[in-house]
Amino acid sequence: MALPGSVIKQLARIVGDQHVVHSPNDLRIFERDGSITGAVPEAIVLPANRDEVVEVVKLAAKNRIPIVPRGAGTGLSGGAITVRGGIALQLTRMRRIVEIDPIARTATVEPGVVNADLQHAVGRQGLFYAPDPSSQKACTIGGNAAENSGGPHCLYYGVTTNHVIGLEVVFADGSVAWLGGDAPDRVGLDLLGVMVGSEGTLGTITRIKVKLLRLPEAVVTLMAAFPTVDTASHAVSDVIGHGIVPAALEMMDRVTIGAVEAHYRAGYPVDAGAVLLVEVDGLRESCNELAGAIERILHTNEATGLRIAADAEERELLWAGRKGAIGALGRIRPNYYLHDGVVPRTRLPDVLRRVTEIGDHYRLPVANVFHAGDGNLHPNILFDLRDDGVMDQVEKAGEEMLYAVVELGGTLSGEHGIGIEKNAFMPWIYGPDDLDAMLRVKQVFDPTGQLNPGKIFPDPDREPATLRARAGFCSEAQWW
Amino acid sequence: MVVDGLVPVRVEKPSTAEEVAGLLRAAAEAGEAIVPVGGGRALGFGNPLERFDVALEMLGLNRVIEMSQGDMTVSVEAGVTVEELNAELAKVGQFVPIDPFNAPGHTVGGVLAAGLSGPLRMRYGSPREFVIGLRVALPDGRLASSGGRVVKNVSGYDLNKLHQGALGSMGVIVAASFKVFPRPLHEVTLEARTRDGWTEAARALELPMPPVALELTSDGRLLVRLAGTRDAVRRMARELGWPEAPDEVWSEHSRRGGRVWARVSVPPGKLREVVETFGERATWWASPGVGVAHWVGDIDAEGVQLARAAAERTGGTLVLIAASVDLKRQVGTWGSPPATLPWMLRLRDAFDPKRTLSPGRYLS
Repeated sequence: MALPGSVIKQLARIVGDQHVVHSPNDLRIFERDGSITGAVPEAIVLPANRDEVVEVVKLAAKNRIPIVPRGAGTGLSGGAITVRGGIALQLTRMRRIVEIDPIARTATVEPGVVNADLQHAVGRQGLFYAPDPSSQKACTIGGNAAENSGGPHCLYYGVTTNHVIGLEVVFADGSVAWLGGDAPDRVGLDLLGVMVGSEGTLGTITRIKVKLLRLPEAVVTLMAAFPTVDTASHAVSDVIGHGIVPAALEMMDRVTIGAVEAHYRAGYPVDAGAVLLVEVDGLRESCNELAGAIERILHTNEATGLRIAADAEERELLWAGRKGAIGALGRIRPNYYLHDGVVPRTRLPDVLRRVTEIGDHYRLPVANVFHAGDGNLHPNILFDLRDDGVMDQVEKAGEEMLYAVVELGGTLSGEHGIGIEKNAFMPWIYGPDDLDAMLRVKQVFDPTGQLNPGKIFPDPDREPATLRARAGFCSEAQWW
Repeated sequence: MVVDGLVPVRVEKPSTAEEVAGLLRAAAEAGEAIVPVGGGRALGFGNPLERFDVALEMLGLNRVIEMSQGDMTVSVEAGVTVEELNAELAKVGQFVPIDPFNAPGHTVGGVLAAGLSGPLRMRYGSPREFVIGLRVALPDGRLASSGGRVVKNVSGYDLNKLHQGALGSMGVIVAASFKVFPRPLHEVTLEARTRDGWTEAARALELPMPPVALELTSDGRLLVRLAGTRDAVRRMARELGWPEAPDEVWSEHSRRGGRVWARVSVPPGKLREVVETFGERATWWASPGVGVAHWVGDIDAEGVQLARAAAERTGGTLVLIAASVDLKRQVGTWGSPPATLPWMLRLRDAFDPKRTLSPGRYLS
């Protein structure tokens, strides 16, 4: 597929020659994101500002060309993949932090601003932006808003949608609007809330206003080892059952611990069945009391080798291990498929047992590293792409794990999005009437279906998922 | 039952979600206007109804569907009252931080549809931030669910948001799931009486552990609720230096409301200047940390217009939560329409093409 030369010329006129990529070789660079599939776009366009986005979107609307907004391409559900061809609208040139208001505690940024860069900028003013995806060194705030990203500290602080107060959006027809704003209540429907997490299928985000929080006075990070994932899961439930919601509550299993320790030397106990990383923050008094209480609860749950980070450096190292865990897994197998599902917290032991069984069945190593406090699991299926037919096995295993999540009352994604990875599974959790309501919204904002087509909703043109025969099992009765 | 001076032709009292959906569909097919009624605590909210054929009394949907202490989630039908919900949760040391004014008696469905919030919004945000699932009956007789029963969920569009604060214009909420919170380990309420309430409030908001609620009233009272570990709460109480007050002040405070009642929502830093436009003798209470103020009593059209203009200049709003039909006709409930109104109207038409649901009240 290739766009007509006349369209390429017009695109070049809008954003400048050097900001339109259309040679077949160069296009391949943008074939992938962080997911396991890919598709080559017909053109890559890198606008410098909102007005250029508007012109590109209008041109695309006129010529019926799909538009796929793209940030850093770290997404794990294929949200940035141009499955129906068209223009990959690369927003990383729009990377200005427009304003930081330390009094109102807000920041306004362009979509290409990297999450960690915003953190550094606001950190200098004693503030922080709460959502902290593990890819925060690369992923962009625009992508975070489009996917409603999470992160370890979302347990206490909430996910992206709880921190975005305003969005500037370019709609499918090229019109522009601000959604939300500084005032706490708006008149009219909460379009802001619908736009966050809509994966670029309802509009293109060109500016984001976020809430900032004051850095806590104190932070205490604990690490504890457990004989098994089961005992660690019970400890998680027990901490929260005591009325303590830590800032973060993360788990790593034995496979992950081994890889992380070999790579980071963070002092993780390699003989443990599971490790919990617990962080509390707030006043010094609160931290001491809570850390003490948590320590006691963990001990009654068979914790061994409990350690409290002595200083910021040690804390950073513990977190570096957690946030870099996925990369470290490359020591075990060169490729991974990182899944994302959420179960009610108390079902964690059940679902992890199923995950292990499924991995064993397909003879694939599985590493678990995840947000235990939220019940948000991330089984990592490890493999070597050079092994014959392995991809098929990997996908089947992933699908079965996801199905187990749904069977236990969970959902398809907690923070990675649906994209093209899980759209075929949507009928597992939503009935026809539920999906119909969502499609009405899509139809209003994108009647010609040009915005990130082929995402979120089951696609009749794509091969049905293997387990799709079971679709519809999760009727509303299951939910309600 | 009279709303905006109109009396319905009949009152329906469904007890299941399916019955609600069936009644909506029948009303839509007959071209009737149907108005859901929960606890009746916010019936005057919105522009005057254009038509009123069927009152849909929701109190029969009163089941707690599922409460899971360990998962810290709860699912209830829409007719359950906020007090009933929190009484259930209190048995296991948990609560949902929904504390609307003009309490008690709000139903869960009503408070979500009306987008009401109270003092605890300071710490927990409005219900928007902790509603994790909704089930909504639509005028074509469908029942559509969004979200689920897990605390983190990005599967599909977040239509939970679409129905909250929409005053039933997009569908009738029949059930809701919430992320719940543990009761704080330790809590204390302080009360100060001061001439310069705004400055004192600002001081409280800058504490290293801010209050979970902070309310300022027109008669110079400041109410603060501190929550956390015992030592942390003690330290903050010491820093503030205000005397302790009994917990009951909050339930008294939550009973506030009025036959004429305006709500201002502005960026917190602008709240004081907007509240000052109410006039020196006005009766009001405010959450300075949130940017919301409630104004009740002797309010006329001129007063509304003046305060509304001030609120809208800051990018905020003034809406009438309750008012006479005359006042609502004179100044309107909502003020200036948002620039995105055309999108909103298209969405409404996609969900309620025949204007079956409370016509006239919300978007026009």
